Amino acid sequence: MPTFFNSWLPFLYLYIGGGIFFIAGMIIIRKSKAIDMRLKRDRFWWKVMVFGFFYFAIFHAILITAALYL
Amino acid sequence: MDQALNIGTQLDWIVLVVYMIAMLLFGSYFAKYNKDTNDFFFGGRRFTWWIISMSIVATGISSHSFVKYSAMGFTYGFSSSMSYINDWFFVPFFLFGWLPIIVYSRIRSIPEYFEKRFSPSARFFVTILQLLYLVGYVGIGFLTMGKAILPLMPEYLTIWGFQIQITLMGLIWVTAVIVGIYITFGGQTAVIFTDLIQGAMLLFAGLFVFFLGVSYVGGWSSFWSLLPPAWKVPFAGFNSPAEFNSIGAFWEDAIAGSVGFLFMNMGLIMRFMSTKNVHEGRKAATINILFMLPISAIVVGGGGWVARAMFEQNATIFPSNMTADQVFVFVSHILAGPGMFGFIIASIAAALMSTISGLLNATAAIWVNDVDKPIRIWLKKAKKDDTSDEVRAMKVARISTVAFTILGILAVYAFNSYPTVYQAHAFFHATLTPPLMIAIFFGAFWKKFTPAGLLTTVIGGISLMLLGHRYPQELIGPIAHGTPFDLAHPYTYMAALYNLIVCTVVAVVVTLSQKQLQKLSHAIKRNKNNMLIMYSLIAAAVAIVLFDLLVVFAKLDLLSLDFTFFLTLLMSGFVALISTHFVKYDAEVQTLGLTIWSVHKAKEWFKGSKLNEREGEKAIVHFKVEDGEEDTISFSHKDMKTMEAEVGDLVYISDIRKWLGGLKSCHSVYGKPHNEDGIVHIKNLHLSKGLFVPGQFLEAEKEM
Repeated sequence: MPTFFNSWLPFLYLYIGGGIFFIAGMIIIRKSKAIDMRLKRDRFWWKVMVFGFFYFAIFHAILITAALYL
Repeated sequence: MDQALNIGTQLDWIVLVVYMIAMLLFGSYFAKYNKDTNDFFFGGRRFTWWIISMSIVATGISSHSFVKYSAMGFTYGFSSSMSYINDWFFVPFFLFGWLPIIVYSRIRSIPEYFEKRFSPSARFFVTILQLLYLVGYVGIGFLTMGKAILPLMPEYLTIWGFQIQITLMGLIWVTAVIVGIYITFGGQTAVIFTDLIQGAMLLFAGLFVFFLGVSYVGGWSSFWSLLPPAWKVPFAGFNSPAEFNSIGAFWEDAIAGSVGFLFMNMGLIMRFMSTKNVHEGRKAATINILFMLPISAIVVGGGGWVARAMFEQNATIFPSNMTADQVFVFVSHILAGPGMFGFIIASIAAALMSTISGLLNATAAIWVNDVDKPIRIWLKKAKKDDTSDEVRAMKVARISTVAFTILGILAVYAFNSYPTVYQAHAFFHATLTPPLMIAIFFGAFWKKFTPAGLLTTVIGGISLMLLGHRYPQELIGPIAHGTPFDLAHPYTYMAALYNLIVCTVVAVVVTLSQKQLQKLSHAIKRNKNNMLIMYSLIAAAVAIVLFDLLVVFAKLDLLSLDFTFFLTLLMSGFVALISTHFVKYDAEVQTLGLTIWSVHKAKEWFKGSKLNEREGEKAIVHFKVEDGEEDTISFSHKDMKTMEAEVGDLVYISDIRKWLGGLKSCHSVYGKPHNEDGIVHIKNLHLSKGLFVPGQFLEAEKEM
């Protein structure tokens, strides 16, 4: 049976460590006004970027849960 | 795995040969779409997201991917997918930073960005590095493809009574000639459209093997229950085994690899620049990372996963002496019948051809933009913004494509005969990538980053990285997160974290010390012996670099590690001061439009006038051709209103048939409106660029 070290710890490290870079990117594009939240198109992209982060996190979480319990 | 396994049939080889000929003809067909170097290198910047997304898939999966990831999948399980589903973290930086910067600033190559952002010498340096890297990479691509396919081939092919011996180099020459011909004539458009076929083929082949395998073992529930739980987890162990662990994959792949892939890969960047606009490039990147990469993980690793299930069910199904690298070949042969196996081999060849074709086009682009053109400007045979030289530039583009194809094959001879050359190329690439990656990243996102920061990151950063290579236990060990030390490959993965740390620290410290460095530089300038001081500093820096090289490559332990490390830091300080003193740099001018903080300015420059950000709708129109040379097209007042467009705005018109992916399309500028609703007046130049078909509807949209 996989241990915490082989399943959830890599998951947490990936999404906390990677999340720091991701949030830094989101802050920089907002502060630099590279993304203009007044535009409908840019608001769409903001949602896509947030969605993508959770999409991969949930995808990985489902795979780990399936490997451990199914 | 360099010997023939003799496991195919004649039908398989016929499928492979037919495929190769079909690709040659299909790719060459697109020659008619190349009117200038913008078409040849960037496909006229006209394509829609889905075609570019598929092209990126085909480029990202090389022949070796099937062999490598199937072997990893067989040995470690679903964790072989790690490197395909960890690329999202830098997406904001790419979509709203790097992508608009490279498109709007009209940069045609990465070296050109280095000149505009830093200095001409930085461009010169990066051009040489990119050319060496790309030619070497073309050679490696040919070699890995040859080694992957050769074992599948018979020792001899008999065609019309002639017996032809199949050798590694023979196979490589044939592939090189085919790719070389269609790239030379078809350019980026041929790359993109052959990628579409090749991408679809390799996706189909990989998924076909996976689903056949699942069916072979008795369906999904049987497949799932055959596999051990530890094998089904999508992550490798946190910090072990040494050769494959999650922490290493995070730093080496999710961080360094993602930045390297999105920001430094010239072939990939040229694909994004081939999209019709930034919005479409964003779509291509997003769809690729969200959907195509996870599918690609199944495509390249799936063979190994099903092989493992088949092995658990019946271990005798595979030869007892089968190596992990042979897993994909054997499992494909067991699962696919005659003809279909040939299709799978053709897919492996397709993976190589699509990767190599993009690299050759990128290499030619660097030659034309960063070597040929600057030399002609320097010799005063051309002007900086002169576009009248396009006929000649196209000739140079085509000749250089042929030349780099030949150089790539010559590199194969070197790599195959002298393994040390191959290792040297890999080492050279691994050593230079982190500092250049940091340079591009800080260059684009930190307006304070200076040429002194760049040069010190490259010279000081590389020296510190080399020390890490020489003393891994002492320097990388403390940050290796408990990864075991493997003498054969000392911290192969965790070296990425060390490299990123030293390069980042050097870049940040030098940039934050810019004022102090300038003060010191001014103080030296006021000294009557200023040149003597500067030459002494240069001599000291060179001496320390040479000393570091002796320590690393001759393995001389002349001084303690602490003192060697201190000397290297001191040398980095000298480099920072020397470059601050000598390199001319105007922060205001050289950051404008070239960092994320002024990307709006670049957008205005791209348009050439004030931006019109009102969001309109697309207009469906017929076209009429009128006389004139001006690059403007005219719509009715009503159609202009639908698109929220004004005279002088940029417009994109394309054939309404979506499946063409933008092949028949062009960019232009809105001219004075008329009163014929549903009609666009275009000129002959637009007809010749877009190759529009009379009678077909066109779709028009305002770009900005």
